[in-house]
Amino acid sequence: MTMDAAGATAWLEENGINWVKTEGISIDGLVIGKHLSTRKFVSSLPLGNAITEFVLGYDIGGTPFLAWWDDWRREALGDFHQRPDLSTIVAAPDRPGTANVICDIVDLEGNSIPVCPRSKLRSVTERLEGHGLTAKAAFEIEVMLYRESFAEARAKHHRDLTPMAHPAHLAYLHYNSRQQLRFLDVVLQRLDGLGIPIEGWHDEAAPGQFELNLDPADPITACDRVIRIKQVLREVALEQHCSVTFMAKPSHEYGNGLHVHHSLARDGAPVFYAPDGHDLSELTRHWIGGLMATMPAATSIFCPNINSFRRMVGFAAAPTVASWGEDDKSAAVRVLSRSPQAARIENRVAGGDANPYLVLAAVLAGGIAGIEQSIEPPSPLGVASWGLPAGYPHLPNTITKAAEALKADTLLRTVLGSGFCDYWVNTRRWEWLMFHTTGGDPMTTDVTAWELNRLFEIV
Amino acid sequence: MGRRTRFESHTETHVASAPMSEPARIDVEPDPVPIVLILATTLRRAARTPQLAAAIGRINGNVALRSTVDPQAATMRFGGGGVTVVRGVSEDADVVIAADLNKLADEKPPKPKVTGIPRHPKLAMTVSKLLDPPHGTWQEEAQRFFAFATKHPGVPRSMRVVCTDDGSELTLGNVPSEYELHGSEHALLNVFLGNSVIGQDLLDGKIFAVGKLAHLAELTGRSLAWMLGE
Repeated sequence: MTMDAAGATAWLEENGINWVKTEGISIDGLVIGKHLSTRKFVSSLPLGNAITEFVLGYDIGGTPFLAWWDDWRREALGDFHQRPDLSTIVAAPDRPGTANVICDIVDLEGNSIPVCPRSKLRSVTERLEGHGLTAKAAFEIEVMLYRESFAEARAKHHRDLTPMAHPAHLAYLHYNSRQQLRFLDVVLQRLDGLGIPIEGWHDEAAPGQFELNLDPADPITACDRVIRIKQVLREVALEQHCSVTFMAKPSHEYGNGLHVHHSLARDGAPVFYAPDGHDLSELTRHWIGGLMATMPAATSIFCPNINSFRRMVGFAAAPTVASWGEDDKSAAVRVLSRSPQAARIENRVAGGDANPYLVLAAVLAGGIAGIEQSIEPPSPLGVASWGLPAGYPHLPNTITKAAEALKADTLLRTVLGSGFCDYWVNTRRWEWLMFHTTGGDPMTTDVTAWELNRLFEIV
Repeated sequence: MGRRTRFESHTETHVASAPMSEPARIDVEPDPVPIVLILATTLRRAARTPQLAAAIGRINGNVALRSTVDPQAATMRFGGGGVTVVRGVSEDADVVIAADLNKLADEKPPKPKVTGIPRHPKLAMTVSKLLDPPHGTWQEEAQRFFAFATKHPGVPRSMRVVCTDDGSELTLGNVPSEYELHGSEHALLNVFLGNSVIGQDLLDGKIFAVGKLAHLAELTGRSLAWMLGE
């Protein structure tokens, strides 16, 4: 739906909307905004409501980043705007009279902020379009569902929770799906009301874990759907007095990933298609070459938290090595080139705690760097990418090592911009500092209370 | 924008030169945690004093510092002519110092609990000196900090510092003051020695400032970097 302010006013009236919930995206992927009366919402168009610049300048625990400064910041916590993307306005299916709209965060003149995740992804897709290419993306959302409410989970310090499933590590088990139906029926109904198509869902490997598979869409839409789905899952959990988490590793069980598939088209033709799965086009090779060359640096974005790296262990479905291969699920990058309708590349590194806009921006930026600099990929390993000894291209395994890789990177920043990359590196070093100086225990291999308290409910 | 990253890595061996004495080898673990970096910075500062640098190269034994209020802990492993600082309390620690690390920089810090002194009195005594190395006046330490901080863009080009104990003041930099810090001699020394962080001390009401948030943020970043030995 494309509309201007007049169109929005008419739409709000037709749908009996009294309130508009603005949905902006923080650097950590949290949904932030206000509830506005329709009068205020309409009067604030096209720039949108004011919101303090602080929303892009604090950590996931709420502590302001006051250890460096950037040109885009406003002195004394001045205002930015949440500019509504009116193509995303939708009546909230669970709240008659309320509409939701996704926003970009812009400065007072309406210029993009370099660390606004949604704007960053848009700038990357525009760069891609400059090469005559368009992308589509589809995420797989993994989530764990527990019988305890969020309040009960908090009271138990998020430990020893009861999965809404049989405790065995079985995937695709319909006995488990059946236990989750009362929850998922409401979720799916609400997603339908929001206009979000789902390809399917299934029970996953960790007890209580399930996965939602989204339809392919343009990159911005694909990410908008992820943040709306995550909201719906939390809201239904609140209503049904159970709890969900997207933490990359909420316990010693399997972790939550956020795999993302992407395809490219030029003049409508699938770029990644290779009938025999081997004779990849030069463009595809360079694209994969870029993905591989930027993988260590991009890991900082794919794995944003201390907790993210607990998921990155061998033989647990998460990649540990920067590798690629045709239909290789042990690799970081799984290429599926044989079908003209479904030729695509899956990136399997990101955790469920990652910001989808930034994940996709980093993936596409890596590919763009590859084609702009004609980077040939390494050969596929040809062996399982788990349990490999030293000498293989292991991914960074701590938040600091990943941040260092991004700091040293010279490819991603040609597309994402140094302003964004440096800001991100600073925020990850900050997260490291917060963990170690506000109660995190670096001596344990278990998930710490610090991580659970910080991430379980909101990430 | 091309802004510089404000944090640096410490994954390599650090060697601090001690004037007029043998260099003291001060290493940190790979991918170190903050308390390891902070201890290494303190030891490096101690190594500026020839006698203490010699002591670092001479003593043998393992001394741990453990927080009594959170999991922060590190062990200094002395031997082989230097020291390596690693995370955690090593099982073979000869001396263990337990303290509220948040209050170590207080004017009257609570007395730490130390175990192992009867068996290792010289080691404990030497390390206590290393962890409280000699320092200059607040003005000298301010100049040292500012020389470090001002290399970075965004830090105020000049700064007026006022000691609230006696009204003495110092202007750092050669242009009209862009920022002011006010505090007691003790508070100023803590900041300029890297024992505490400007932004945190400001939040805690230990120091006061006149200036822009942008300058405060950059100074705080430099203050953190100073503390972590970058």
